[in-house]
Amino acid sequence: MRLDKRAGLSPERCFNRPGLMKTDYRSRERRRRAAWIAFLIVPPMAMMLTFVVWPLLVALSSAFYRWEGMAQGEFVGLQNFSDVLFGDHFAALTWRAFRHNLFVFFALFVVQNTAGFLLAWFIYREPFGFRFHRIAIFMPVILSTVLVGFLWKLFLDPNFGLINQLLEMIGLGGLRQPWLGQETTALPALVMANAWHWVGFPALVYLAGMQRIPREILEAAKLDGCSGWQMLTRVVWPLVAPSTTITLTLLFIGAFNWFELPYIMAGLDGSPYGSTDVLGLYFYRTAFGNQSGGLQDFGHGNALAVLMFMFIAVVATLITQYLRRREIAL
Amino acid sequence: MLAGVLTRSILRRALGKLALTAFAAATVLAAPVQAEDLTLWSWRQEDKAAYAKFIEAFRKKHPDINVKFEAFEAANYPTVLSTALAGGTGPDIVQVRAYGTLGVGKPDYLVPLDKTMVPEFENFPASAVAAETMRSDGKLYAVPFASQTMLIIYNKDLFEKAGVTPPATWDELVAVSKTLKEKGITPFGNGTATSWQNETIVGALLSSQIGKQFEQDVLAGKADFTDPRFVGALAKLNELKEYFAPNFSGVDYAASQQFFAAGRAAMFAGGSFELANFLRQNPKLKLGMFASPVAKAGDERLVALYYDGGYAINAASKKKDAALKFLRFLGTPEFGTAFSNDLQNISPIKGVKFENPLLKEVAALNEQAMSYIMLVNFRYQEPTGSVLLQSGVQKMLAGKATPAEVGAEVTKGIGTYYAPFKK
Amino acid sequence: MTAKAQSPDPLFPRSSPGSLIAAALLVGNSVLMLYPIVIMVFSAFKTTGEIFDAPFSIPDFTYVANFTRIWGETSLPGYFINSVIITGSSLALILLLGTMGAYALARYDFPGNSAIFMFFLAGLMLPLKLAVIPLFLQMRDFGLLDTRFGLILIYTAMGLPSTIFIMTGFLRTLPTELEEAARIDGASEPRIMLSIMLPLSVPPMVISAIQNAVPTWNDFFFPLVFIQTDARKTLPQGLSVFMGEYTTDWGMLFAGLTIAALPLTIIYIVMSRQFIRGMTAGAVK
Repeated sequence: MRLDKRAGLSPERCFNRPGLMKTDYRSRERRRRAAWIAFLIVPPMAMMLTFVVWPLLVALSSAFYRWEGMAQGEFVGLQNFSDVLFGDHFAALTWRAFRHNLFVFFALFVVQNTAGFLLAWFIYREPFGFRFHRIAIFMPVILSTVLVGFLWKLFLDPNFGLINQLLEMIGLGGLRQPWLGQETTALPALVMANAWHWVGFPALVYLAGMQRIPREILEAAKLDGCSGWQMLTRVVWPLVAPSTTITLTLLFIGAFNWFELPYIMAGLDGSPYGSTDVLGLYFYRTAFGNQSGGLQDFGHGNALAVLMFMFIAVVATLITQYLRRREIAL
Repeated sequence: MLAGVLTRSILRRALGKLALTAFAAATVLAAPVQAEDLTLWSWRQEDKAAYAKFIEAFRKKHPDINVKFEAFEAANYPTVLSTALAGGTGPDIVQVRAYGTLGVGKPDYLVPLDKTMVPEFENFPASAVAAETMRSDGKLYAVPFASQTMLIIYNKDLFEKAGVTPPATWDELVAVSKTLKEKGITPFGNGTATSWQNETIVGALLSSQIGKQFEQDVLAGKADFTDPRFVGALAKLNELKEYFAPNFSGVDYAASQQFFAAGRAAMFAGGSFELANFLRQNPKLKLGMFASPVAKAGDERLVALYYDGGYAINAASKKKDAALKFLRFLGTPEFGTAFSNDLQNISPIKGVKFENPLLKEVAALNEQAMSYIMLVNFRYQEPTGSVLLQSGVQKMLAGKATPAEVGAEVTKGIGTYYAPFKK
Repeated sequence: MTAKAQSPDPLFPRSSPGSLIAAALLVGNSVLMLYPIVIMVFSAFKTTGEIFDAPFSIPDFTYVANFTRIWGETSLPGYFINSVIITGSSLALILLLGTMGAYALARYDFPGNSAIFMFFLAGLMLPLKLAVIPLFLQMRDFGLLDTRFGLILIYTAMGLPSTIFIMTGFLRTLPTELEEAARIDGASEPRIMLSIMLPLSVPPMVISAIQNAVPTWNDFFFPLVFIQTDARKTLPQGLSVFMGEYTTDWGMLFAGLTIAALPLTIIYIVMSRQFIRGMTAGAVK
């Protein structure tokens, strides 16, 4: 990054255009050059095509077939798609899981992204100890979801868990709950564990966004008599719009791909009675079977995966475009 | 194919004997040369040490074959197994589930068996053999290994301390629970946070009230799960929940086991497979057991029984004849006895001698049993009866559904594929 | 040292009420962030009974039975080694292939250049998790199921887009003069890349490495589906097996979690600046 300035002087020269190679135009040299470029670019492309693009294309096509376990059957057109969206027992589960994903997205928007934004502002103000807090807030981000899930599952145990013992200790024993055991608190508890895990991410993305705001702007706002809060909402918030775009898009993708944390904390069935069931769990259960039965169904599983992928891709693109326009408008 | 396997097996055996004689001197000192390594996959991680013993016993007869026991987390086992089988890999010998698709999806992945290949099938009761028959083609694929019984396990010391005795009727059970609770003892260690526990609770506590006749009527298409016998039993269960573990809705399987094993709870509604778990966690426990209490004195008292699974041969195995030898060993009363006594599990093999008094008790209770209804009959298609019952009961015990709603929900779900319910 | 960083006329004086509130809230948040980790470590030095009876007490740190048991009787050490192998190899491949691709895209103009760049960029958005079923069947056909090498290839493919994005962005900023001078001296293209351009590219490589190391090390989903043999399991996957085996022994559980968390935590504390930069790279312009 220290070379930014020099490169900035002559952006058109960042590429080696043929014109720069006046001295040598013989075709042998050119062929050798082409071979060199191919040598560089073909292996990474081959990796991507083989292990990312191809499986995704196959997922798309195999969703149009009937599957018996892991064996492909006959072509059934859109049958699998209509089953998971409108069919007998699939549809209710699909839409229930979808609603839960929506809830997770909005709840995380508040407790993870908004909290992250505020925390970023507190750090940006550089109060006493801000360097330490910046490191602390990012610490859980590096831990694995499996670890975070088990840790919070132990903490949330209704009888021996830390949370209930803490409530007891500070005299709020009446608030003790079987957190993961009741419909009303299970999904919120998972959301809180997720926020604990990830809040550092939006916080530090926002912090970087804030640090790019020219200091003069904030100084001018201060001279105009803006309070800290006004400065935050009226000056900083619009100016960190690019950070909002990126954190919101990533949050959306994450919320609809949610799998590991509910898998560890609530089990594959989204216990209790499906109140934590999300699309990721439902997809996995449909495709690979659950513990009670283990029936596998790749056809409907793939149909779900394709629908999820299309939904995520379309909405993520729309969000990005809308927010980009907002960035410019602000 | 069968003939081929047998011929090869005879040839191999003959060759093996030759080799053994020839290298007798060498093998006295060294480990058997050219031992064939078989792998066995299981979801019973806790059985590893016992299997080492069984395999040792097997090797006394077949020193040329070695068996490697590999176990997986039960929750991941279906994925692990079917992905391996679909991938044309996997072990030589597969521990499979019972009923429906035996947990492997398709018959092609396993070698079909019969009494000429495995004469030891004679040692099993018909219900056990039926359990390892695949629903889609009616062929037999596995040597059954254990029956499990759903019953109520109790802590004898705690019962004595509270001055109560094992109840026979439902009202007595409620009274016993009440007394225990008054004396500061949690009556049941059970929690409902882990889905499948809800099904075991129903099997253990309600079988006598649901009854064999109900099961027959369901299978004959004469009754469904909105039947008063079923719904009524669920309603009784709903009355008992205040005697479960504190905050039972948030208590998962592990925590509920711990309640009982640590001596905090007096009873546990669950499978006979818990006996070994409890004793391992707390060897000082004095355990007793009883079948689900009857609604009124004189009714037939029942436990719920199912077969856990069996051992099958992977169709992709390259050592099928060696695997067959091991399978035949797994069907002998000798193995059945060792299995039962080391793992505290009931082997269905006739002529097994139970050393353990607890197992004798379980075996005695098994004389009067109905099947563990959802697992045995409705686990072959989604939504399985088990999944429906589990979430329904979990919901009911959380106070979010009535017994009648659970019955209707279960009937509706099974009705999507079970013709008699489609009305 | 903190005073030195303060500009002479700070926007937000530290004694102002706003800053004090901010400081207090940050302290609260940091406690929230760190206390669970501290409790986890404390509990690892306790017996299950102590955890239940005195969950908040400071333990006797000489009680290490949980750790010695994990070392002696569980497979966690093996899982740990597998994770090191898999993450290390994936990173090496990601950096190798990613740098190659990025170098071609950044330093040469050829037909399809921008299309290929867009292709990799699109890869940033593709959720490979949803293609796990065909990926599974494909790995089966390649004979890569239940192998560490199979996982390494998947992680490499998944890591390439972000690496190419970061590396291309950086390599484009390098001036052409150096390269031209070398070319006039008769240096070959590979020579220019290896001895002139790449030595300058270490910082973005570190960023790319960290950005991929953390999710690869922590991944649970792909091993869950692809790895079956206990001896090949990774740490997060093995952790779930371990948690299943010792469900009722909370001392062991916390010790296992602590061991699993330890390596990355220590590296993070030492290199927090690079970690933060690495993991937010791409999200921060």
